[in-house]
Amino acid sequence: MDQELLMKQIVEQVMSAMNKGAAPAAPAAGGKMTAANYPLAEKEADKIKTPTGKPFSSLSYEKVLSGELTSDDMRIAPETLEYQAQVAESVNREAFAGNLRRAAELIAVPDERLLEIYNALRPYRSTKQELIDIANELDGKYGAKTAAGLVREAAEVYEKRDRLKKF
Amino acid sequence: MKSKRFEALAARPVNQDGYVQEWPEVGLIAMNSPFDPKPSIKIEGGKIVEMDGKTRADFDMLDTFIADHAIRLGNAEKAMAMDSLEIARKIVDINVSRDEILDITLSVTPAKLTEIVGKLTIVEIMMGMTKMRARLMPANQCHVTNVKDNPIQIAADAAEAAVRGFAEMETTVGIARYAPFNAMALFVGAQAGRPGIMTQCALEEATELQLGMRGFTTYAETISVYGTEPVFMDGDDTPYSKAFLASCYASRGLKMRFTSGTGSEVQMGYAEGKSMLYLEARCLAVTKGAGVQGTQNGSVSCVGVPAGVPGGIRAIAAENLIAMLLDLESTTSNDQTFTHSDLRRVARSVPQLFSGTDYICSGYSATPNYDNMFAGSNWDADDYDDWNIIQRDMRIDGGLQPVKEDDVIKARNKAARALQGMFRELGLPPITDEEVEAATYARGSQDMPDRNVNEDLKAIEAMMARKVTGVDFVKALDKAGFPDVAQNIYNMLRQKVAGDYLHTASIFDKDFHVYSGVNAPNDYHGPMTGYQLSEERWEQIKNIPNAIRPEDI
Repeated sequence: MDQELLMKQIVEQVMSAMNKGAAPAAPAAGGKMTAANYPLAEKEADKIKTPTGKPFSSLSYEKVLSGELTSDDMRIAPETLEYQAQVAESVNREAFAGNLRRAAELIAVPDERLLEIYNALRPYRSTKQELIDIANELDGKYGAKTAAGLVREAAEVYEKRDRLKKF
Repeated sequence: MKSKRFEALAARPVNQDGYVQEWPEVGLIAMNSPFDPKPSIKIEGGKIVEMDGKTRADFDMLDTFIADHAIRLGNAEKAMAMDSLEIARKIVDINVSRDEILDITLSVTPAKLTEIVGKLTIVEIMMGMTKMRARLMPANQCHVTNVKDNPIQIAADAAEAAVRGFAEMETTVGIARYAPFNAMALFVGAQAGRPGIMTQCALEEATELQLGMRGFTTYAETISVYGTEPVFMDGDDTPYSKAFLASCYASRGLKMRFTSGTGSEVQMGYAEGKSMLYLEARCLAVTKGAGVQGTQNGSVSCVGVPAGVPGGIRAIAAENLIAMLLDLESTTSNDQTFTHSDLRRVARSVPQLFSGTDYICSGYSATPNYDNMFAGSNWDADDYDDWNIIQRDMRIDGGLQPVKEDDVIKARNKAARALQGMFRELGLPPITDEEVEAATYARGSQDMPDRNVNEDLKAIEAMMARKVTGVDFVKALDKAGFPDVAQNIYNMLRQKVAGDYLHTASIFDKDFHVYSGVNAPNDYHGPMTGYQLSEERWEQIKNIPNAIRPEDI
């Protein structure tokens, strides 16, 4: 490679690295969150809310002591996970963003039920119909469409690979 | 006649280790097996219909999951058509950026990834790690456990480990029912030592998630995946159940990573005649496909298997590199004991320690080895000064720093007293002043008085039944006169609401500022780029207390 071309490439790479390391580009069009808005706790505190509707910026140590804030407040909200998914996409982590979106759907599912569904997805635990019923529950009751899709996919694959509950 | 030289050599620690010749037919081969599939891909109608020599009709569960979720299709045919040697050369070429490499490696199959790293020497693998790890600065993780499950000692050891520099801490149990106490003690001890440290308790999957939901832990790591379908079934999970579990964690604002490693499949008897590295590449593809931010890999608890075959330690470094080539947080093992030889155990850690990874050990034992409940670690508390001197010798940042005895004693004492106060306020079995004193100065559990285990276990059951959560820890610590520790716990709980630390390779500094692959990406592209030791950090690393100062002579 000729020397000049090489130098040009290096300079370009340095520039792109600098852009990434320091403050990246402004938020993308359409108001989506990007790496420039990250960390959200510092840069977008006014946009984040608890699932109970309290602004992130209103959370305080004193309110925990007084009992005004409980453990139900100290949770992540679906909108926040969607913002984080957008940040992930802005740095080309689309698989991770997909997981965060699936997670956003599952916030509404109570702890106990979530653990039951996880256990039902383990090998030889469920019939195909039981898995389909879970998918319908996720979809219908919680609007968890991608999570339901994953369970339906599992039902098909478990059947094909003979990993369903034996009678 | 017997040779005296051979007699002496036979007595050396290295000859007490086990070794085995390669046996590719059963998978007893580290990498480059003649039976590994040849890389291939065929896409029809936006779907992979052939992968690594198998058509979709012959796919097992892992193939199906990987083909449907783990590979970027847009660039796949082009990337798969590239010569693996050319890709390997790009990995070590400083003129090819990390992003350009990821464009290729996120679009290829497990067999292709295995073939690419198979072209690299150990030094080239290290060059690859330097460029490809996700976070700019390396960090380190430790184990904090003891054979008695003594919570006061856990808190004190965690506080000391915090002062010594660990960014993340993991505990586990001897008696499973002790888990809540161990998790609480680790949380409090870590936050008493240095604000912002992430903590976890390794348990059966569902129990581990439950503790996270209750606010006893802030991340999870022991979510195992395996490289063949039968072993996955033996592990009582599937790629689909694990992907669902990953989303469960994120839905509660908890960071998590999967774990896998070379040797697990052959150890469990179902390697299907493939190399350990190829099977690990499948694990990492499952991890990627599940949308998890990172992995703990590097053989981990199966290290004895690759360590016994030729090139096995190279393969462990190669599997770490594959994780990085998939843009995953790399938490690079260097944990379980595998050798009697001090020379071998240092050499095993050179690739990750010298290159720097997101978490070099996962973890380094913050106790003497006899207290390590993860079956021992390659590095332990008795090696703290060795680690510090190696950092100083090589001018590298292994995540730790030399400390003063006074500072450590103070931190241990404060953590033990904070836990004492928290137990009192939560109505748990008392921690005596004698126990606090013992934990302050202890080396390990042999220096700790015994607790009434039955009474502890009864109290744990009652505490869990009345649904105590992390919020109750905050209140109890404040009441007990430790508002600074209470605030740190509160701040960790608050981070779960924002979710910034869910991202790839995150750590917190003492002010709860997050650094991850998003805002602190690795930008290495040759000498004097990427992570450079600051003057301040170098001062911290090089100033060991026992160095002679010229002015004293």
